[in-house]
Amino acid sequence: MLTYVARRIAIALLILFGSTFLSYNLAAYSGDPLQAIRESTDPKKESIIAELTKTYQLDVPPPARYFLWLKGILGVLIGKPDFGISVSTRIPVIDSLALAIPATIRLVTAATILAIVVGITFGIISSIRQYSRLDYSLTFLAFVLFSLPIFWVAVLLKEYMAIGFNDFLAKPQIDLIWNVLMSFLPGLIIAGFIGGNRKRFLISWAASFAAFFVLFFFASATGWFRDPSIGIVGVAIIGVSTSLGLCHIFAGLQNKKALYAGLTSVAVGVGVYFPFNMIANGSANYMMIVGFAILVLVVSYFIGYFFTSIDRGPVITVSMLSAVFVALFTVLDRFMKSWKEYYVLTDGRPIQTMSAYNITLKSNDFWIVNLDIITHLILPTTALTLISFAGYLRYSRASVLEVLNMDYVRTARAKGIPEREVILRHALRNAMIPLTTLIAFDIAGIVGGAIITENVFGWRGMGSLAAEAIGAQDLNLLMATFSISAFLAVMATLAADVFYTILDPRIRIRG
Amino acid sequence: MSEVGQREQLVTTEGMSQGTIIRKKFLQHKPAVAGLIFMIFFAIFVYTASGIHLGTNEAKFTIQGWWKYSHEDLLPTGSCLSGCPSPDHPFGQIANGRDYFALVMRGAEISLMVMVIIGSLGAFIGTVIGAVSGFFGGIVDAVMMRFTDFIITVPSILIGAVIGYNFGAQGVVTLAVFLGVFAWTGLARLVRGEFLSLREREFVDAARVAGASNARIIFKHILPNSVGVIIVSTTLLLSSSILTETGLSFLGFGVQAPDVSLGLLINQYQGDFTFAPWLFWWPGIIIILIALSINFVGDGLRDAFDPRQRKDVKRRKKARLEAQQSAAANQ
Repeated sequence: MLTYVARRIAIALLILFGSTFLSYNLAAYSGDPLQAIRESTDPKKESIIAELTKTYQLDVPPPARYFLWLKGILGVLIGKPDFGISVSTRIPVIDSLALAIPATIRLVTAATILAIVVGITFGIISSIRQYSRLDYSLTFLAFVLFSLPIFWVAVLLKEYMAIGFNDFLAKPQIDLIWNVLMSFLPGLIIAGFIGGNRKRFLISWAASFAAFFVLFFFASATGWFRDPSIGIVGVAIIGVSTSLGLCHIFAGLQNKKALYAGLTSVAVGVGVYFPFNMIANGSANYMMIVGFAILVLVVSYFIGYFFTSIDRGPVITVSMLSAVFVALFTVLDRFMKSWKEYYVLTDGRPIQTMSAYNITLKSNDFWIVNLDIITHLILPTTALTLISFAGYLRYSRASVLEVLNMDYVRTARAKGIPEREVILRHALRNAMIPLTTLIAFDIAGIVGGAIITENVFGWRGMGSLAAEAIGAQDLNLLMATFSISAFLAVMATLAADVFYTILDPRIRIRG
Repeated sequence: MSEVGQREQLVTTEGMSQGTIIRKKFLQHKPAVAGLIFMIFFAIFVYTASGIHLGTNEAKFTIQGWWKYSHEDLLPTGSCLSGCPSPDHPFGQIANGRDYFALVMRGAEISLMVMVIIGSLGAFIGTVIGAVSGFFGGIVDAVMMRFTDFIITVPSILIGAVIGYNFGAQGVVTLAVFLGVFAWTGLARLVRGEFLSLREREFVDAARVAGASNARIIFKHILPNSVGVIIVSTTLLLSSSILTETGLSFLGFGVQAPDVSLGLLINQYQGDFTFAPWLFWWPGIIIILIALSINFVGDGLRDAFDPRQRKDVKRRKKARLEAQQSAAANQ
């Protein structure tokens, strides 16, 4: 295994060397960075050209200059990488990178995680309900999403999701027609998930339609969208119902241990609601949130662990996931408490369409600052999620279907194992292995994928740096984004191959 | 039934060739057929709209299309200041009076052409590299696959941007050719995989024993068997390349003015959304329609070429429902 990884890394480095060499020369020969100055009428232009030529070593031919550049990059080994100085902005490239990389990471992390979780969940459901109306609708949706140009969606999202929602907030009342339409759709999706024959389908549809209708009606009547909150009662209700749902999915409601473990997690979570809100005031920080998250995971793990001594897996899953949901809603509730203030601070237009954060935000409150980051993230995250969601949906559906047709699944069913366990324990584990490749490709394409999104939403990230560098013939800047994205691509492929062999024991590596 | 009758029945079922089976399965896939018909009619519709204009100003060869305006005509603006759609200008007009329908048709023409060039170049190079790599294996395979990895490491949109920025001004065809030269990697990997498994099969051994040359084995024996993979991934390549081209043009690195592309049109008129939304809607809808119908055709082809695909979905579903109902009745 070690020799295999070492050999792969060696090959990866060679590929990196080749691809950076090629792109360096491609970019260097494709344009003249001094063109703007040459065309200018500045009387001192000769001396400026001479100076720039010296600074950027433009007198060295590109193939040789590449090695000078490479020497700077290799400084990364001693912890002092030198990406050179940008021709257009005259500041070291590494400073631009230091600003751009966090923005891009923030942009793609949420979108990638959301796309993976939602896409795989829908894919599994779609495959279990193969050839149902839900399956056909999801397949159609996936094809539409595959065909969407992201720049077009982004403009539409800006127009309707941001501007439309902000306009709505000025007078947060949903009229009857919209309420009917908005309740109609989630009801349809939920009923499709539950499945069953026509009667059951219609009953669950009607029930969820009524629930959403009443919910929207009260939200609208009480001006909830302007000053939202869930409250301890809301968190408790949501917690208990998600816990029941999770128990039904992962263990079955007849598994009393799982049921009680989940409900205990919820009870503990609701118990810390007031203490959490007392600690989490405006001067909270990220360490606190991380600590809170770890605490939630550890406590809920032990709740599941101590509830039973046999077959702990599903019980722990239920208790941990219940706790995570309760924690998420508690934090969401905390954010909602700051919403009113944020609404005033943004002059009543809270959903943002441009840039990564509001520079002129007049607040140091932890929750408001993060609310600001979130409202800036909503649109680009939605756009990116929509685009990559379809891939995960189709891929996981196909993968699960293939596994469900295998002999060992038939054997498991023949042994009398409940369908839930056949799917969760036998099918899904094998079906999820091929997805590592897809995830790796997604990570490899991050910089390329971010170019358009960052351009439309005015973010200053890796993608916009690359676009800017191409436009300005800025070789050092361009090569920095190129080499980082090539490095990511190579490493992601390598990681996918290694994980694949760890997850799938059928694959043997010859060192 | 007599024995002769039975044999006749057998003969008729055996008579279906591979091609017939695939065609029948494809024709059963309704979205795919709809997509194919739409694509054919849409291409004809687009390409006959403005007619054919070849040559420079000195030696012009022109066939007039069925649409009365050209995308270059500067027309008087109508009564509506924002150039809203009217019977005379179904998609409206832009600020300097040009007919937007003619512009969109011209953009669709160019986008379709770029798509076809990228797709066919990518398919050709990918097939050749994949076939050679998979068939010969060993050192050839290793070198070629590392070369493919190496092309993959550079994100295509970055390559496209560098190429588009430098060659976009030299005309659309140059841009498309350069993009196509980098678009083959995914296809090459798939074709290689197919060749790797097919070359171990008995019919290849049989051909070799019979004295067939490598070229003959590749072209006459293995290639026809891997045509399914090639066709399906080519359709997917087509739909992704129209998105790449429009995306690049949107960023300003692809097709450059005075040429028109659907992505360029969206970029130019996204700012006018509030008062002239149709300028934004039409090119986007056309991109989606093209990509969607190609994706459906690709899905239909995949199903048609996949021997494991069940074709009697409806019948099975009906049978399952009936079984459920009878089970319910028995209870």
